Amino acid sequence: MLPPPASDSAAQLQRFPLEVRDAFRCFCSSGDVAALNLVVLAVVRDYMPRPAERELTDEMRLIEDLGFDSLAVAETVFFLEDLLQVRIENKELMQVRTLGDLRNFVAGKVEKKRSAIA
Amino acid sequence: MNVIPSPLRRVVITGLGFVTPIGNDRTTVLANLRAGRHGLAPVEFLGNPDLPVKVAGTVKDFSVDSTSWRDWTWPADYAIPRETLRGLAPHGVYAICAMLQALRDAGLPAEAIAGNDMTGLFCASAGSAKMGYHNLVQLHAVRGERGNPMGVVSAISGTLNFNLAAHFHITGAVCGFVSACASASHALGYACDEIQLGRLNRVIVVGAEEINAETLLPFVAMRALSGESDPRLASRPFDTGRDGFVGGGGAAVLVLEDADTAAMRGARIQAEVAGWGQAADGYSVAMSHPEGAGLRLAMQRALASAGVKPDAVDYVNAHGTSTPVGDRAEALALRSVFGDVGAHPRISSTKGLTGHPLSLAGAMEAAFCVLALTEGFMPGNPHLVTPDPACEGLDLPRTTVDLAPQIALNNSSGFGGSNVCHVLRSFRRG
Repeated sequence: MLPPPASDSAAQLQRFPLEVRDAFRCFCSSGDVAALNLVVLAVVRDYMPRPAERELTDEMRLIEDLGFDSLAVAETVFFLEDLLQVRIENKELMQVRTLGDLRNFVAGKVEKKRSAIA
Repeated sequence: MNVIPSPLRRVVITGLGFVTPIGNDRTTVLANLRAGRHGLAPVEFLGNPDLPVKVAGTVKDFSVDSTSWRDWTWPADYAIPRETLRGLAPHGVYAICAMLQALRDAGLPAEAIAGNDMTGLFCASAGSAKMGYHNLVQLHAVRGERGNPMGVVSAISGTLNFNLAAHFHITGAVCGFVSACASASHALGYACDEIQLGRLNRVIVVGAEEINAETLLPFVAMRALSGESDPRLASRPFDTGRDGFVGGGGAAVLVLEDADTAAMRGARIQAEVAGWGQAADGYSVAMSHPEGAGLRLAMQRALASAGVKPDAVDYVNAHGTSTPVGDRAEALALRSVFGDVGAHPRISSTKGLTGHPLSLAGAMEAAFCVLALTEGFMPGNPHLVTPDPACEGLDLPRTTVDLAPQIALNNSSGFGGSNVCHVLRSFRRG
């Protein structure tokens, strides 16, 4: 097993499976968006008020299909903000309806942050 | 018995649920009550062995010390889904388990109360100081920019009502009561009123409290807790050597129903709430009235509301927290209500066994009274050695009395001089 990333963010993933932690490590070192997608999916699954084993697909709506309520959405977003060190405004959040929206939105946020740093 | 016919509907108790320092099910609680076995255990808070709080009425088989629900464990008999867990305070876990137990005891499937407009839920808890503190520290650390979305519902003093109402889909009525150590007794009293008046057919009464540094240590600052490390010396209500109360936690649930509703569904009726009364001291923010004036009036009003004379009362479950001032005030109130008319009910404070579970006390002790009525015994005062002279003339048995009471009183008093008394009675039709 590889050592965990040194960042504080990695500690938040302690309760997640090894493959998720590895994906996050991969994303941190390479910026690989596919690895980030795996992390976002795992976080969504972790905050689903009614957990389900079914496969999660991009077209699924967070509230109507996955049983999220506004509090669970807020929990998910706060966790992703802390993990990825990005800031997501309420207004932006209103545009996110499906899992695909969320994945694209998070990827865009992270990309914007990387560009700003570069 | 002196029963005056009343046009009001009769209120009966059909289910009990226990998560207490002396047991997490009816059988264990009953055995420990009868045997006079306490549930106090050594505790240490904030890693400081020098604090003058050495024992508490702890809850066994649960682990809810963390501020994250993901770390909590509870007995496998009870299913609590993530959707519910995320908004709970630690004592909410106790409450859900006790409520599931009480519904089972009452023979009520979850679907019988879900969406039933004649079923209400009345709760009592002080909220979770632990969760509140944790959430606010986090909020301050990021200068208000980020908070726990569940921070409010898992911490403020309505946390029990919010969460249990949502979990069990209560639609009749939901309400919380905050009168410190009289809270659960108020919940039970007003539940009784709602049923008597025909507004609801059933009310589930829930009390719960957690045991942790944030709940208990503020009472150290008030010099209200016993510093004794020997449980038999730490919680000894009415003894001359008492030096403060011992904290306790857990949850207790009573299912109250209109007698006809209970009979129609073939429920096992365990006891009747014959009446209740309340009165206030108008004296101090924290101390009892020196002669227990408010509690005396609460008892008199409860007896009048039940149509019961003092000499018909067999057993009193006293508030008796083991504080010097409070126990003396209650003893004087009891002497005034009973001694002055030559009545001599057996009196005990079961807080000797459980410690003082604050908001939960009234529900837990009402449930103990129901056990006494149904199982035919009266709990004693096993830690009492030398009664305070203020108790002169009161019958304070040291051990369990194996006689079946027909009428029991349950006293509670809270900060601000809030006093409540219930009259519980063996149920007879007619």
